[in-house]
Amino acid sequence: MTNTATPRPAEAQRRAGRTGPAAWPYVVGFLGWLLPGLGHLVQRKYDRAGIFFVSVAAMAGLGIAMGAKLYVLPFGEGQGMFVGLLHVLAFLGDLGAGLLFFLGWMAGFGRDYLARASGDYGTVFFLCAGLLNLLTVLDAYDIAVGKKD
Amino acid sequence: MHLLAQPLVLSHFQALALFAFFTSAVFAVISHRTWRERAKEFLWTFLLFVVIGVGLGWVMYLFSR
Repeated sequence: MTNTATPRPAEAQRRAGRTGPAAWPYVVGFLGWLLPGLGHLVQRKYDRAGIFFVSVAAMAGLGIAMGAKLYVLPFGEGQGMFVGLLHVLAFLGDLGAGLLFFLGWMAGFGRDYLARASGDYGTVFFLCAGLLNLLTVLDAYDIAVGKKD
Repeated sequence: MHLLAQPLVLSHFQALALFAFFTSAVFAVISHRTWRERAKEFLWTFLLFVVIGVGLGWVMYLFSR
C-alpha cells in the first residue's frame, strides 16, 4: 500500500534535497508569526516576504488607526460563556499578528471600544491581519519542509 | 478615552476596497507560484470581494426600513 501520509519535516527536507536542523521548519514558522514575512525572508523568498509584510502591517496599522479594540486577557469576565468564547477566538486571531499585536497593546492602543462603525471596522481589520499572518506562517512552514518552492 | 485623538474614519466602500486589496494580495501570492497567475488571482479575488460586498450591502438595504 502506498504511504500517502504527510511526511515529517525532516523526512520532507531530505526528499527535497535540503539539509538542516529538524527544528528549522518550526523556527521558520515562529519567525513568520513574530514578524509578518520574516519566515519567508530567512528562506530568501524576498518577494513574498515583502508582500506579506506590507499587507499584514498595513491592515494592522489601518485597524489601529481606525480605533480597533484589541482582545487580551482576562477573557470576558462576567459576560457569560458565549461572549467569553468570542473573546477567546478574537484574542487568538489578534495574537496571530505577532509582534504587531504586542507592540500595539504596549503602546496603549486598542484598550477601549469605540462605539462607531470605524471602530468596528478597525477591530475586524486587525483581526484579519492576524489571521492572514497565520496563513503566511503555514506557507513559510510548507516551504521549509519542501512541500512548496 | 481613546489614545488616538482623531481615529481614521473611512467610508464603507473605502474600508471594503482596502480590505479586499490587501487580503487578495496575500491570497494570490500564497496560492500561486508565477506572477502572471498571481496577478489574475489577485484581480479576480479583489473583484469578487468588492462585487459581493456591494451586493450584500444592497440586500441589507432592502431590510433596513
